[in-house]
Amino acid sequence: MAILSLQNVSKHFDTDGQTVHALRGVSLAVESGEFVALVGRSGCGKSTLLHLAGAMDFPSEGVVLIDGVASSSLDDAKQTRLRREKVGFIFQSFQLLHTLTVQENVELPLLLAGKPHARGEALRRLQWVELDGLGTRYPHQLSGGQMQRVAIARALVHSPKIVLADEPTGNLDTSTGHVILSLLQRLTREQQTATIMATHSTEATTVCDTLVRLRDGRIEEVARR
Amino acid sequence: MLRLKLFYRLMVRPLFREPVRLALTVLAVAFGVAVVLAIDLAGNAAAGSFHSSMETLAGDNDLEVVASGGVPESVVATLATYPSPLQISPRIEDFAVLVNSQQTLPLIGVDLIAEASRYAALQSSTESATRSPEPGADSLNHLTDPQSVWVSSSLNMHAGDQLALLINDRVYDCSIRGVYPDSSGGESAILMDIAGAQRILDRFGRVDRILIKLPPGADIDAAQRELKKVLPPGVEIRPQGTGTEENRKMLAAFRWNLRLLSYIALVVGAFLIYNTISVSVVRRRTEIGIVRAVGASRTDVLCAFLGEAACLGIAGAFLGLPLGRIMASGAVKLMALTVESLYVSSRPGSIALTPLSVFWALLIGVGVSVISALSPAREAMNVSPADAMAQGRREYIAGTHMRRDLLIASLLEVLGVIAAQAPAIGGKPLLGYLATILIIAASAYAMPALVSFLSWATSGLLNRLVGIEALLAARSLTAALRRTSVLVAALATAVAMMVSVGIMVGSFRQTVVSWMNTQLPADLYLRPAGDPAADRHPTISLDLTERIARLPGVAAVDRLRAYEISYDGMPATMASIDLRVLHSYRSSDFFSARPTEEVLGQLRGQNNVIVSEPFTYKHNVKAGDSLALSLGETQANFKIIDVYYDYASERGYILMDRDTMLRYLPDPAPSNLAVFVTQGASVQDVRNSIQAIAAGHRILIFSDRDLRTEAIRIFDRTFAITYALEAVAVLVAVMGIAGALVALVIDRRRELGLMRFLGASSSQIHKLILVEAGLLGFLANLAGLVLGYFLSLILVFVINKQSFGWTIRFHWPVAVILGALSFVYVATILSGLYPARVAARLNPLGVIHEE
Repeated sequence: MAILSLQNVSKHFDTDGQTVHALRGVSLAVESGEFVALVGRSGCGKSTLLHLAGAMDFPSEGVVLIDGVASSSLDDAKQTRLRREKVGFIFQSFQLLHTLTVQENVELPLLLAGKPHARGEALRRLQWVELDGLGTRYPHQLSGGQMQRVAIARALVHSPKIVLADEPTGNLDTSTGHVILSLLQRLTREQQTATIMATHSTEATTVCDTLVRLRDGRIEEVARR
Repeated sequence: MLRLKLFYRLMVRPLFREPVRLALTVLAVAFGVAVVLAIDLAGNAAAGSFHSSMETLAGDNDLEVVASGGVPESVVATLATYPSPLQISPRIEDFAVLVNSQQTLPLIGVDLIAEASRYAALQSSTESATRSPEPGADSLNHLTDPQSVWVSSSLNMHAGDQLALLINDRVYDCSIRGVYPDSSGGESAILMDIAGAQRILDRFGRVDRILIKLPPGADIDAAQRELKKVLPPGVEIRPQGTGTEENRKMLAAFRWNLRLLSYIALVVGAFLIYNTISVSVVRRRTEIGIVRAVGASRTDVLCAFLGEAACLGIAGAFLGLPLGRIMASGAVKLMALTVESLYVSSRPGSIALTPLSVFWALLIGVGVSVISALSPAREAMNVSPADAMAQGRREYIAGTHMRRDLLIASLLEVLGVIAAQAPAIGGKPLLGYLATILIIAASAYAMPALVSFLSWATSGLLNRLVGIEALLAARSLTAALRRTSVLVAALATAVAMMVSVGIMVGSFRQTVVSWMNTQLPADLYLRPAGDPAADRHPTISLDLTERIARLPGVAAVDRLRAYEISYDGMPATMASIDLRVLHSYRSSDFFSARPTEEVLGQLRGQNNVIVSEPFTYKHNVKAGDSLALSLGETQANFKIIDVYYDYASERGYILMDRDTMLRYLPDPAPSNLAVFVTQGASVQDVRNSIQAIAAGHRILIFSDRDLRTEAIRIFDRTFAITYALEAVAVLVAVMGIAGALVALVIDRRRELGLMRFLGASSSQIHKLILVEAGLLGFLANLAGLVLGYFLSLILVFVINKQSFGWTIRFHWPVAVILGALSFVYVATILSGLYPARVAARLNPLGVIHEE
């Protein structure tokens, strides 16, 4: 069974009295261990799809099933629990808290979920992204690539079934971006997560299992490799 | 015009994007201005436009003749036969209580026949005002009747009405013979003929004051010198209204201290304006860079931010004006009661919001705002355009220089300690106040280090106890160290003033309680009915005193007689005690620490006195010095043999043996009685017996416990206004915290949104902000408690001593302080409720993609 399933999903926003159709009748199923790249021009609905996939938003129409549970049927508390347990997010601008050390940033989702032994898990994830030894540093003491690796460690720390990455290489140079993409590929294989990445990078499309091309809120093409 | 337009667009318009925060900042200024204005207006009404009650119907005269214990009537004759034509008006002056309303009014006895023309004029105007059925001539026919009185129209009574008056310890049913016009109540009094007044008050052969009107063009100083020569040595001649001036001088310290206390809320408001403008500068760093890059000068940037502060100041001042006027109405009642209990009978004037008051409110509102904004505005001025545009609005952290600030704090602290050691200047503890300001400033400079250290030291523990929200809150507060420090400093200042005044008042209260335990050894205390006042000493009939002394079960009766006197240009109280009842002063409370018997033994039959501590302070005298006292028509020298601790009055007491006083002032009626019950006898039985024989007299009987309770009630009432002022300062600080937390939430919305992505529930975000509010409250309480302790030392041992001359024994009112700190802490957490709600409702999708 697909870990993430979007069935005929549409999303509209009302902005200044005008309705913007961000997604129109999108259907997509993603399996565990599958690396999906979402491509398309700015405003085509990539980020909206990620938000729906991460239970950060509700669809206007259709159903989003996350590990078999329809996100629309959940109240705020249950949505929060779902995210805590099943979803990890990675952002273009890393979104680390500058007031926390690297290891504190990584353990944050576990602490928010009230999980014990957060520190040990955080250190293991840091080791996995090859940043062991940098745990006590603050984000401003790291390079862009290192910060994104910290963000990946944070996204993985609670062993999510789905990892959602929004332009994870957008703020990085080509070679660092390549390292990050390899890392995402590795985590998908080793952790058996469903990784969905919104990207503009052509290189990113070469490492994924499935390429989903969006245009004006619709899926234009699904290419499986 | 263009610049104004730009100013509006860039500085004013953005303020309205955060209406709640704008409203809280303006309100903070408004409360600061309102409190200062209220105390100023109330002070003017209660004491500033002070008009001694005894000046009622005194008219416009040049000189007055007075003497302690009364002016002999022979002086009236001397003045009447003086070669130069003088218009003289002898007066009897006391107080009467209206039995029905319990209102105390001046009782004035004047020579109505001699001043017939003046009162005839009054009478004619009265006719139309009151439609009195009695003709004026008929009214004057009743002059010789001692129970004929004339009253002011403000009492809403008419000629022919009966009026029950309590005078000393007796009630007299008087007939109103006429009503004189006084719609405002400013000249409200009971008027009677001087002979009748003398008879009722048992003041034969004496008058209280003689007013003198000199011929037009006469040299007042020369006349005063010449007239002095024909008067007996104990009788003083001075310009009319000197008593009022003396009272005003006496009230100066009280008003001065209250006024300074009212500035606390403004100081707290200043911290908050500083914070608001600092936040504005940090948020607009990029904008500053852009406008600098497109041609704005450094001065333009400086003026823009000062202008922003001025706008907040103007808005706050205008809001503060009506608020201050409303607060003044409440304050004037409290102040008038305090003035009456501690100083002198007075009548509060009306509260007048003059153009000067409006100007003053605007000046302090705008002035404090602009001065508070100077530092952040200068920082904005020095922003480099390139850096600003590159860095965006990021770091607040950059603005703190902890080591330098700690150094400045230490320096200010040392200067504060030095200033606290200095003596008063011109009778005012100016350097004591300076020490307070220096120590508050020192704490503000030390605050970043304290906040940083405490956040670091407690974050681990809080994380374990409260959860991840506490760790995040602590880190967030440290990250915005400058902002946090200013907020903590603002609230800590308010808390510190609350703690220090709490300790000062608590210490004073405890000192008074301990003192009363040694000073109230009798079983029962008696005084004439009516509201007590520091300058009113009604008497108890002598025959009643004698009968009480002879009652079975009464071991002894101590008779205390007090007179209102003027010594060295200041009002004071001169009293006598009955040395035959030595056991009324059981323990030593003298500076010399000598036994009571030894000190009081030296008073017996000799021209020796003991004086109260405030008296020595006011007149700069000590044991061994000599006092020249005017008593009746004589002037005599008295030696101060010791000084005693006294907390009954700030006016200053001179105490002598009753027999000595009677030698000079032969009126034996006592003002108060202290009754000692025989061992084994029932106090209640004796009380019942006194009540039985006092039928027909209006006497109040107190047990020592009643008296203590009454004294503490008056004490607490006196300081009620102080607590009210502190409450406003705390309110301003808490509002500031709420406003700052709203700003903090807005500035950290990306971070809060991110946490929602990472699995934080909205209730966790809510809790995070409340924990931040709680941490701010905790840090402010802790800093405020420490700062408050040091300030209390200055208040108790420097400012109080130099202002009032009281020795206060230091005491921690633990329950009061814990209660106050808990209140502030809860209020701070409550202030976080709205910002927490805002934070919990942030749309994470919107905020995470903003940048």
